[in-house]
Amino acid sequence: MIHFFESSIITTKDGLHCQVYGNSHPTNSILVKPKYIPTDKIESPILPYRFISGKKMNRLNLWKDKEGLKVYIEQFKQAYPEYVYQSEIHDKERLFFSIPIEQIERIYFPKRGLKELMKMPKESLDKHLLLVYQLIEFFKGGGLTVEDMGVTYSTLLGNYFEVSDINIVVYGKEKYWKLMKFLEVSQHPLLKWKTEEEWLRLYKERNRANIFEKELFLERMKKKKSEGFFGNSLFVVFCAENEDELWFKWGEEEYRALGSAIVRGKVKDNISSVVRPGCYELESSVVVKGKQVNISKIVFYSRDYAMLAYPKETIEASGILEEVKPKKGKEYYRLVVGYLDAYLDERREKEYIKLI
Amino acid sequence: MYVPESTLIDTQEGIQCKVYASSHPKEGVIVKPKYIPVDLLELKELKKRYILEKCMHRFNLFNSREIVNNNLNQLKEKYPYFYHEDTNHKNWFLIVPKEKIKKQYDSQEGLKQLMKVPEKDLDPYLKATRGIIEIMLSSGVPSNDLGISHSTLLGNYTLGKSDIDILVFGKENGWCVLKHMEKVKHPLLKWKTEEEWAKYYQDRIVSSYFSKEEYVFNMVRKRDDGFFDGNVFSIFIVEKENETWYDWDEKHEPLATVKIQAEVEDDSHAHIRPGYYGIKNVKVLEGYKNIPIKRIVVWSRPFVLQAKKGEEIEAVGLLEHVKSKEGEFYQIVIGYFDTYTTKRGDKEYLKARVR
Repeated sequence: MIHFFESSIITTKDGLHCQVYGNSHPTNSILVKPKYIPTDKIESPILPYRFISGKKMNRLNLWKDKEGLKVYIEQFKQAYPEYVYQSEIHDKERLFFSIPIEQIERIYFPKRGLKELMKMPKESLDKHLLLVYQLIEFFKGGGLTVEDMGVTYSTLLGNYFEVSDINIVVYGKEKYWKLMKFLEVSQHPLLKWKTEEEWLRLYKERNRANIFEKELFLERMKKKKSEGFFGNSLFVVFCAENEDELWFKWGEEEYRALGSAIVRGKVKDNISSVVRPGCYELESSVVVKGKQVNISKIVFYSRDYAMLAYPKETIEASGILEEVKPKKGKEYYRLVVGYLDAYLDERREKEYIKLI
Repeated sequence: MYVPESTLIDTQEGIQCKVYASSHPKEGVIVKPKYIPVDLLELKELKKRYILEKCMHRFNLFNSREIVNNNLNQLKEKYPYFYHEDTNHKNWFLIVPKEKIKKQYDSQEGLKQLMKVPEKDLDPYLKATRGIIEIMLSSGVPSNDLGISHSTLLGNYTLGKSDIDILVFGKENGWCVLKHMEKVKHPLLKWKTEEEWAKYYQDRIVSSYFSKEEYVFNMVRKRDDGFFDGNVFSIFIVEKENETWYDWDEKHEPLATVKIQAEVEDDSHAHIRPGYYGIKNVKVLEGYKNIPIKRIVVWSRPFVLQAKKGEEIEAVGLLEHVKSKEGEFYQIVIGYFDTYTTKRGDKEYLKARVR
C-alpha cells in the first residue's frame, strides 16, 4: 500500500489529466479518475470537449448517455490498457483506473500549489485568485493553517475563469470536521450558502430526485457546509486523509461480491464519511433485500453521500454486498455504493444512500 | 540548428522560455525567459504570476538597466548555461542548450487540435481565437502552416485580458496573411485608429526619437497586432526550417553606435525575428565615417514591419563589420540582448520618414 493524497492532479506522458481517487493505493500505481482525455486515440461526442494544454480533450462525465459511455470505456480499455487497474483484492468486474509510476509526467500538489499562491503579492492576483486567497484567510479563522489546506483543479492548473469553482482540499479528517463546525457558525461578507432553489436544481440532476425525499434532501444539504459561494464563485471543500488516519489500507483486506443488496442500518460513526472512498460504520443493520448477513460498513465512492448521516441516525443504502476478509482479524460484510463500473449498467440509477 | 521562433520551451528546472529566433547557434536555442519560479531566483521589480501551481516571476527586460543587470546576473550565476558568449558576434545571447530542454510545445499541433473542438465547447476567448484564425485562413494559407503560442496554447489565459498569439509558418505565407489583413473586413476585427495610436503615444511616452506624427505613421499601418471581438491578437511570422536566413558562422566586428539615413531596398525579411531591411543610398549621420551599409538587422519586435521598400528611413544601432561566406560588408543591428543592459539600448530606433 502507498499513501497518496486524494485530489492531487496527475498528467501522464501521453497527455491525460487525472485526479487522484482515494488516499490509499496499491504499490507502484496511483488510483485515479481520468478527467480530461486526449482525442487522438479515442473520442466520444457524448462527452463534452475542452481545449486544454494544447490538446482537444474529452471531459469524462460518468452521468452522460450510458450506452455511449459504455462504448467509450471499452475503447479506453483498448487504447489505454496500462491505465486500467485489475485489482487483486476485488472481483474482476470492479473497474479501477490507475497511473503506473513510470507513466507520470507531472504531479500537481494542491498543498504546494496553495503555499505558492499564498506567497503571491496580493496586487498580482487576478479576481479568481484573490477570492481563493480571501477564502483561505477566512478558513484560517477556523483554526487551520495554510499547511493544512490545498487548492486543486482549475485553480491549481491555471485554466480557470473569473467565476470558476474554487476547490479546496483540507488535509486530515479532524481538521476537516473542525472547519465544518467553524463554517456552521461563521459569517463573512463574501460567504453565501446555497438557497433552496439552488439545492433543488442539484436535486434534479444525477438521479438524486429518485433517491431522496425532497424535504429531507433540502434539510441535509443545508446542513452541509462543504460547499457554498464565496463572491460569485462556487467553492467546494474536499478532505484528504493523512496517512495515520486511513480508515482502510489497500491490500490489507480482500473483497468478494455477493450480489446487489439493500440495507438499513443505524450509524455508529461518520468520521470517515468526509473522504473518498467514504464510510459509515453501522452499529446495527437489517438487510431489506439480498443475502441476510450483518453489515458493518456502508462504503461509497461518490461525494454526494459525504456527511449525509450522523451517529444514531438511520440510513438505507443500495449497492454491492461484499464479504470482507482481512489479513488480520475477523471476516465481516459491507455494502459498497458507486464503484466506477456501477456507472455502466443499471446500478447507476439503482445505487444510493439515503437518510431514513 | 532550427527551432521555430515564438515556440515555448520549459527547462529542466521549470523555467518557461520563449524562443527568440528560428536559426540557432550549435550551443543552444536563443530564448528570452518568460516565467521563472520564485523559489529558484529572487529577482527584482518583476510582476508575479501564479502559473501551474507555482508563483512565478514574469521575466521582463523592460526595466531600468540596474534592475535588468541585477536580474540577469542572478540568472547567470545560478544557471550559467543561459549566458552564451558568442565569439563570432563578440556579444552575448541567452540560450538554453538542447539537453536542458524538458519540454518543447508544438504550436502547429496545438492549433490543429483547437480547430477540431466543437464551437459549442469553446469559451469566448477560444471562440475569438478561432475567429481570427478563420480570417487568416481566408487569405489562402494552409491551416497546417498556422500555430498558436503562449497562453493560447497552454490554456492559462485570462478571459478579456490575455492576448491571442497566432504564428504563421513560412515567409511567403507571412506576407500573404499580412497583405490579406490590410484589406479584409469583419465586424469583429478592429485596428487601432490614428487617434488611438496618438493617445497611446501621449499616455506612454513611447520614445523621444519619434514625434507623435512619426509614431502614428509608423504604427497605424501595421497589421500584425489588432483586436478581435475585444481581444488583442498578435501575429508572429516564423521562418520554416529550409528558409532561415541568419548564419551563426558569420563573424561580426562591432564598430560603433551610428545614426544613418537610407532607403529601403529589400523589405522581404522585415516581418520576422531576427529580420532585416536591405538598404541603399546610406548616409552615416553620426558615429562613424560614411561607408556603404548593406542592411539593418532587427532583433526587436517593435521594429518589425517598420518600413517598406522604397521608403526613407532613419535608424540608430550598432554598426558591425561582417565576414560571411559571400564576402565582407557592414550592417547595423538593433535590439541585441546587450541593449537592455547598456546605454546603447536607449539610443536605438528605426523609423520610416513620414511621407
